[in-house]
This record gives sequence, C-alpha cells and structure tokens, in this order.
Amino acid sequence: MSQFLSQEKSIYLQISEMIENDILRDIILEEERVPSTNEMAKLYSINPATAAKGINILVDEGIVYKKRGIGMFVSTGAKETIKKRRKAEFYDHYIRSIIKEAESLEISKEELVTMILENEDC
Amino acid sequence: MESIFCKNVSKKYKKKIVLEDVNLELEPGKIYGLIGRNGAGKTTLLSMIAAHAPVTEGLICLGEEEIWENPNALEHICFSRQLNPSMIMVVKDYFKLASMYYPHWDENYAKQLIEKFELETSKPVSKLSKGMQSMVTIVAALASKADYTFMDEPVSGLDVISRDLFYKLLIDEYAETGRTFVISTHIIDEASDIFEEVIVLNQNQIVIKENTQELLERAVFVSGKAEEVDKAVKGMNCYHAETIGRSKSVTVLLEEGQRIEDSSELTTRAVTLQNLFVALCGKED
Repeated sequence: MSQFLSQEKSIYLQISEMIENDILRDIILEEERVPSTNEMAKLYSINPATAAKGINILVDEGIVYKKRGIGMFVSTGAKETIKKRRKAEFYDHYIRSIIKEAESLEISKEELVTMILENEDC
Repeated sequence: MESIFCKNVSKKYKKKIVLEDVNLELEPGKIYGLIGRNGAGKTTLLSMIAAHAPVTEGLICLGEEEIWENPNALEHICFSRQLNPSMIMVVKDYFKLASMYYPHWDENYAKQLIEKFELETSKPVSKLSKGMQSMVTIVAALASKADYTFMDEPVSGLDVISRDLFYKLLIDEYAETGRTFVISTHIIDEASDIFEEVIVLNQNQIVIKENTQELLERAVFVSGKAEEVDKAVKGMNCYHAETIGRSKSVTVLLEEGQRIEDSSELTTRAVTLQNLFVALCGKED
C-alpha cells in the first residue's frame, strides 16, 4: 500500500487495485485487517469517501468483508477470486492493446506469436 | 447540520458584475474544492456566504434561516481569508482575536497546529513570509472548529512539504469531525483527490459543481487525424480543440450513454482536473 497514485485512472479503482496487489503478493494475508478508509485517506491525501468507494468495490466482489466495529478483513479465498477475475480481464486489459499497437506497426499475427513463444521468460 | 443555500445570488461593484445569479447548495460533511481564474469571484462568493460582505441580489441561508446578521447561523461558519501582508498585528494577538470571534475555538488544537507548522507567534504578520502568513490562516480555520469552514487559497506561498502537511491535517480533522470545508486553490491537481466535489467558477457563474471522481471519469482527451477525431466526437461537448497540421486534439465531457469508440486511429487519454479546468476556462485561440 505504498505506491504513488497516478492521474491516469480513477483514484478509487487504484485503491482497490493496490489492495488486491497486496493480497496477491501476501502483503496482506487472508483474514487479516485491511487499512481503514481514514488511514488510506491520510496516507494518499485523498478524500475518505473516495477511499471508501475503492474498498466497497472489494466488498461487492467478496474479496473483503466487514467485521462490525472492528474493520474490513480479507476473505478466505480472496486470492483465488482476484486471480480468476484478472485472468478473465487479461484479454481486454493487455492483449487488446498489444494487438492495437501491433496493427499500427504492421506487425503480423504470426510475428506477434513468435515474439511471445521466443520470450525466454515464458 | 443543514445545507447552506445560495439562491439567485449576484454581486456587483458599481457597474462591474462579479457574480451573476449563482445558485449553490453546500451539503454538510463534504470537502469542496473551489476553482476559478484570478478575478473569477471565488473570494467574493466565500465572503458573501460567510456574511463578511453583503449580496447585491439574492439570498444566502443556512437551512431555512438567512445567514446575514444572524448569530445563530454565523456561529457555525468560519471564513479564514488571506491576510493583509502589511498587517502589523502580532500573530498570537491574531489568534487571540480569532479565539474570541469563533465560539467553538479549540485552543489546544491551535497550539498543536502552531507547533506542527513551527510558526513564530511573537512576530507581527508583516514580518512573516507569504507561506507563513498562509499557515496563520490555516491554523485559524482549523482551530475555529466551525461546521462550515471556508479557506481562501490556504496553500498560496506554501512549500511542497507544508502543503502536504496541510492536506494531511485537513483529512485528519475531516475524518474525525465530518466538518464541511470549502477550499479555493490554484494548485489544482495535488488537491483534486481531496475534494469530494469540485465547484468551478467561470465568467461570473458556477459552470460545474460535481463529484470530482465522476467528473474526471467523463472527461476524455481525444487526439488523432482531424477527420477521425471529428467523426468520433460528433455531437459531444467539446472543449479546447487544437489542430496542428492534420492532427487534432480535443477535450470531451461525455454525457450519460456517450462513449468514444475504441479505434486504432485514435488516442484517448484521461485528463486531470487541471487539464479539464484549462479546457473549460482557458480562452480558445
């Protein structure tokens, strides 16, 4: 939870994404408390209502849940939920923009596939 | 606490119109940002709401009650204006006056703030730098504990570290009390995430009052080949169009249901509040 916010994307989406990243990287573990909206508001100098909007996205997706009077906690199975959803979004978020850039550079589909297959990290 | 309403408010100085037929509701429990060019009427608007200056026409109320000369309403309002830079009053005397003027003044809180900003209170205001004078207005505003607190360019002249301190103190106080703040500023982008709503004054009127995040979500910067851009933004609210050779760029405020079709011919980009402000209020060439 200690990155800078960018102006390129809605702040509340960045907040929910950062918490998700922390869950994926085991920085916040399942059944642990996530920072409160006020803590996040202060840390990032953002309006608490915006921070709350970011957390509410995670509540709606069942990634975090509220313990009355204590705060928000990471659900069991949250990591799997996040991975599943991000896999589903992978095409729209990454592949589409790669294809768009490849098209404007006239890189053929075959070339593109070769690049991916030849990447040693793959 | 009830809302503050401005109803058909105008302000004229002799023949010069500063604000014309302004209607505004300030809801309790929000942080508002007030932006506008120099001379747009930001200070005038705030000073009228706080009854430091009379309206020429119209009505300003807290709930049902008119604010002007009404102590019941005024005890809930603080307008911390910019100081006269040649003021010879000593800083601690200024705070003493403020403590008598604002019925909910919190002396301990004022002391903490003075320490945090490392303000020298034994100096006359005129001997302080511009940034330190702004700190005085910040301390007065926060320690007033007024339900409605208006701050006129509180970060003017402050260095980046002190501005950061101010934003954090503001969020602290807001999170704890839920007081309403209206903050005018020219340093737009670094404060835009703090404003739940933004109010834009331009040419004597309020041209925008909207949730900041929602406003930014419907603002898009579109660029590409001129005819492609024209085709994509046809019929939309376009601002600040610029062309260089065959390329064109324009800032669009999307209405409900509108969207820019994804295409490899166009580049679309999010805009910051400052970008949008320039697009809305800057002069077209």
